[in-house]
Amino acid sequence: MIKNYLTVLIILACSLFTNAQKNTEPTPEEIKLAESLKEAFPDDHVASESENYHISFEYNKRTKKIEVVEEITQNLINLDSRANIQVYSFYNGESEIESFKIKYKTNRDTDSYIQDEAIKSDDLFHNDSRVKYTNLAFPLKGYKYQVEIIKRYKDIKYFTSLYFNDDYPTVKKTFTIDIPNWLDLELKEMNFNGFAINKTLKSDSKNNSKTHTFTLENAAAMFDDTSSPGPTYIYPHILVLAKSYTYDGEKTNIFESTQDLYNWYKTLVNSLENDNTDLQAKVIELTQDATTDEEKIKNIYYWVQDNIRYIAFVDGIAGFKPDEASSVFKKRYGDCKGMANLTKQMLIEAGFDARLTWIGTNRIAYDYSTPSLSVDNHMICTLYNNNEPVYLDGTEKFNAYKEYANRIQGKQVLIENGDEFILNVVPKVDADFNKETVNYQLSLENEQLSGTVSKTFRGESRSSLLQYLNQLQTDKKDKFLLWYLNGGDSNTKVEDISTSNLRDREIPINIDYRITINNAVSSFDDTIYIDLDLDKELSGYNFEKRNTDFVFDYKKHLQSTTTLDIPDGYKIGSLPEDISLANDNFNLKVSFTEIDNKIVYKKDFEITKNVINKTEFNEWNGFIKNLNTIYNEQITLIKQ
Amino acid sequence: MKLKLLFICLIAYPTLLISQSKLEIEAQDFFWGENDNYKNAVDIPEKWQNESAVIIYKNENYDFHKFGKRVEYKSSLRKRIKLLDQASVTEFSTFTYQKRFSSSKGYSGYKASHAIVGLKVVKQDGTETIVDIEKEAVEVDGETKIAIANLEIGDILDFYYYSVEPFKSIQAFGFEPVEQTLGEEYPIMDYKLYFQTENDFFINFNSYNGAPELTEIPVKKNNTRRYELVANNIEKHKYERWFYPLVELPTYKFQVYFARSGKFEDRALAFLPEKEDIIKKTVSKEEVLDYYEKYTPLGDLGSIERFIKDNNFESEREKVIAVYYFARHKFLTQYVEAIIVNEAEILANPFIATKTNPHLFRNDQYFVRHFMAFLYDFKYDYDVIVGKKRYDGDLNELLIQKNANILLRVNTSPPVYLDNFKIHSDVNQFNYLMEGTDVYELSAKKKRLDQITTGKLPQTSYDQNESYKEVTISLNDDFSGFNYQGINKYKGYEKVGHQFDKLMFKDYVVEDYEKYETEPFIEQIRNKKSRAKTKKELDALVVKLREKQSENLKESVASELDIEDVTDYTFSIEETGRYGFDTYFTYNESFNTSDQFIKKAGPNYILEVGKFIGGQVDLTDEDRKRVENIYMNYPRSYNYNITVNIPEGYSVSGLEKLNKSIENKTGAFISSATIEGNQIIITTTKQYKNNYEDNADWPLMMEFLDEAFQFTNEKILLKKS
Repeated sequence: MIKNYLTVLIILACSLFTNAQKNTEPTPEEIKLAESLKEAFPDDHVASESENYHISFEYNKRTKKIEVVEEITQNLINLDSRANIQVYSFYNGESEIESFKIKYKTNRDTDSYIQDEAIKSDDLFHNDSRVKYTNLAFPLKGYKYQVEIIKRYKDIKYFTSLYFNDDYPTVKKTFTIDIPNWLDLELKEMNFNGFAINKTLKSDSKNNSKTHTFTLENAAAMFDDTSSPGPTYIYPHILVLAKSYTYDGEKTNIFESTQDLYNWYKTLVNSLENDNTDLQAKVIELTQDATTDEEKIKNIYYWVQDNIRYIAFVDGIAGFKPDEASSVFKKRYGDCKGMANLTKQMLIEAGFDARLTWIGTNRIAYDYSTPSLSVDNHMICTLYNNNEPVYLDGTEKFNAYKEYANRIQGKQVLIENGDEFILNVVPKVDADFNKETVNYQLSLENEQLSGTVSKTFRGESRSSLLQYLNQLQTDKKDKFLLWYLNGGDSNTKVEDISTSNLRDREIPINIDYRITINNAVSSFDDTIYIDLDLDKELSGYNFEKRNTDFVFDYKKHLQSTTTLDIPDGYKIGSLPEDISLANDNFNLKVSFTEIDNKIVYKKDFEITKNVINKTEFNEWNGFIKNLNTIYNEQITLIKQ
Repeated sequence: MKLKLLFICLIAYPTLLISQSKLEIEAQDFFWGENDNYKNAVDIPEKWQNESAVIIYKNENYDFHKFGKRVEYKSSLRKRIKLLDQASVTEFSTFTYQKRFSSSKGYSGYKASHAIVGLKVVKQDGTETIVDIEKEAVEVDGETKIAIANLEIGDILDFYYYSVEPFKSIQAFGFEPVEQTLGEEYPIMDYKLYFQTENDFFINFNSYNGAPELTEIPVKKNNTRRYELVANNIEKHKYERWFYPLVELPTYKFQVYFARSGKFEDRALAFLPEKEDIIKKTVSKEEVLDYYEKYTPLGDLGSIERFIKDNNFESEREKVIAVYYFARHKFLTQYVEAIIVNEAEILANPFIATKTNPHLFRNDQYFVRHFMAFLYDFKYDYDVIVGKKRYDGDLNELLIQKNANILLRVNTSPPVYLDNFKIHSDVNQFNYLMEGTDVYELSAKKKRLDQITTGKLPQTSYDQNESYKEVTISLNDDFSGFNYQGINKYKGYEKVGHQFDKLMFKDYVVEDYEKYETEPFIEQIRNKKSRAKTKKELDALVVKLREKQSENLKESVASELDIEDVTDYTFSIEETGRYGFDTYFTYNESFNTSDQFIKKAGPNYILEVGKFIGGQVDLTDEDRKRVENIYMNYPRSYNYNITVNIPEGYSVSGLEKLNKSIENKTGAFISSATIEGNQIIITTTKQYKNNYEDNADWPLMMEFLDEAFQFTNEKILLKKS
């Protein structure tokens, strides 16, 4: 009996499977479609045939907030022989996922198990973001699934943008946005230039609303280039600017203007107690022996940099509201807002005019002419010293007073000023500020190069090296420095290292040492062949495969000079040809000269705006190719 | 029913709260109570002032209690650490743990186990702050996270982790063995390990390499036993290449076994001490035999018998070898496709679809007993070999049963060694870490194992474990790059990893199907439509895996030669090498690359030919000062035969630099270069002759390592005629 029962079960299971297979197996047309999509998007494994976002708005009488309902329908198709992907949706305390369904192309539910996990981030110790996701296997080319997600934002101010590009390329991406007439909402088109985005607008007098649609065909997947500009610069998107709503005849502003945005930020700041009792003694300790205001400020600013660890708790309103200064002081940790507030309160205690300041780092393309929570992502402190604003960023380590990290340079700041606000811009520096100089003085004996080296690092080249060195374990610092100087190659022996104070953030780093280099010189038939370049900077910076601008961490300026004494009885046989390339964004030169029986090899690489634009890639790549030719070329010395 | 459940919850919840807070008090009192001798310990020795952190006191505790079938296992760790730099402050500034968890031991309730963490910051002026975890921690998905406030360089962090795992064990239960060196990342001033047990808990414990012994501490309770291990002044661990810490550094190992009665003691998967009050420190030959006596011949030999009947063998030795490979297929590789189909979610129940009952060996014991049955039935003289891996110490240091490895030796001439199947395992191939080690040889006069002697496992030589490459290099006409054609061959222990990394399942499953005329898995699927669907989806998976295989192989050669630009990569698997330890796994590959190893020098070119043998060990000054002995996996050789086609119109200078010869008892690097016609022929061999070298011979090893490294720096000149 049991045996028979089992047989029935097996037959049933098989027939179910067969049915499923019969209906879900890709048709020849679907396979053809997958193949043509693969041709269009060769680097992608899966594409969206269509992706529809339907956005609507509801007024929640209880919370008195505008809620946003985002209904996403995504028709995925496999472009490869097989693919395994994850589909997911994020949410947090201000949003929820009401429905998450996966369907076969037959419209039957796959009954996929939807997992729900907290997001873990290396940068944020704790945050309230979570993700719902499931794994999807596409067993055949042309196989399809439909993903249906309904997500609700509990407050419109957290619903800030809609992007046309996503994980997978999309044949047709449509945003349908129903805006009720009681809601004043601006849809700001960002980076639409160069994209054939079709727009329609329909009024619905019956429902008292307007419907906007935006459609983009053949939208590529987001690029996975490293060192790219932030997505706000490169992808077409719609900024959703909720200005105000009218309920029961009463108009309420959301973020109609920058003043509204500031007002909201200010309400959060105003709710702080600012009881500075606990930090007063520390402020006295840091300032009592200082003879000038600047010294007092520096003592406080550097103390925050050195003693407050970056540990962020982003949970609900804590993502926007700074922690109490006394709390950050006691805990000795905080996020950017906490550090900014502590810096401010300590400076106030010391008698200075210090204010909280909101800023979007250079990952964000917008400024405060756009009143939205997506404008900023960082907080610093502005100090007015003799009416001059000085920006203090406690999250930067080994950042000297009045020096600004590249990530905030040139960015607009929103400075608190009572009921109003001040807009200003963080000053920029030129690449020379971060100049790195390298000098090799070498001579040649018995196929070995030896001599002295002197290296100097300024600005951010200095602070980034100091920061790296100082987070290493004490007993590993010397080893790291040795490795850093010899490039991890035992052919290069480094000895007698002397350095400037590697904890002083205000002076350039100087490193001097003696060097011996093996295997850089070969002799064949009375000719000496020399590989004179130990560092070969920029050799790997070929951007042929990139889709986006390349962003350096900061503006760079490297000046490297290698001087080699020509041994007695030898003359130069051949030197590589000089090369140079200059435009507004970079200035690159390599030269070889003979002066007083010495070969002087100079490299001067200046990246003036820290970005290499895509439009410059051709000339840039041409230079890098020539540079690598030089790096691959040997200097020859011929016996006289 | 609902009411009943509610009632239980109402009772259970306060109990839980009480027990948690009671445990917290218990833990705090245990570590930081009145008897804490380290309460005021703040100073560290001068010699460790430049360390990142110094552990003033490290204390580990293991406490075993039972109430009938119920066991309560408490384990705890305390460290009192002086933080001397930003790195250690950052390292210890956050803690993540689970307050409630489900024990993996025996039968336990859902999240019935508790963990208590205590954190105390001692400032330099002596003020102490106990972190209020309830107030300061956040809990997400059962994980408690805490960022420690006011932690600065120069502070002492005193923390403990105290866990209580209650569980039921109906049968005998072995706790996870612990094997660790006394030293760790930071130096330790004082270290104490405590053990507390009672009847029915059996302890195997021993100290090695100069670590202090475990000693018994008298206690008042009759059935309670307490032991301690005390050490001090322990230097931090060094992480070296070719080093087995458990063999060289002060180490302790232990395992605790719970067995409620003699019956369970007999069944225990451990070498138990005779009585609970005896700490077992060594395991005798007789005890080993006693343990393995239960390994009797057992297995259905039907398929093996049919295989033997259908085939002819040149000798009894050939027969046993053939049976091993047949059985590897029969009991393992014939199921691979079914397992893959299941894992790829192509078929939920592949064995239901084929109406087969898979017979896979669950562990080494099943393999050994099955083959014992075959060897016994076919009247082979054989031994069961029991030994241990070299990184874990000598045979006379055997203490923990899990460290014993078992295999078979068939006493033909020469003998044949059989180890449990892996996908590509070979006859005469066993874990290389057991090579050349002393082992126990167990044999049976009749059927049951009743004899034990000691012996030694054979040791392979460097030429048996070979990696061999035949490379042909053709430079582009404009010298911008070159074409690489390579034939890669691996044998002996050198091929094991390569087969695993580079073969795709189709490469060997089809080979086995054909060799043993097995109906392929797909054909075994009874339902026609299901078969068609599975075949289609499996074929699609194979296409995808082939793409990945090509990508992996491409990355592998790029990494080996340390080059980035690999284009037009192709490969072909020529021989899987799966039917003999000495047969080669062979695959061919070819690709183009540019801007690599060719340097312009006026009208001439310098070719960095030394780079074609891939990266070699580059010793740092610190490596050269090595004081530890050298432990390697197995002797091995890396042989190259490189042909460089000389471009027309060019002559070659500098070949003499490619002729190198260093050979000594530890190894060799020998190379030669000649010109034959319009080709440069370079041969190199690098040999590691042994799997162990005494530190006194480190200079000899450095000689050939340096020579090989120097070879990679050698260049030749292609001179325009």
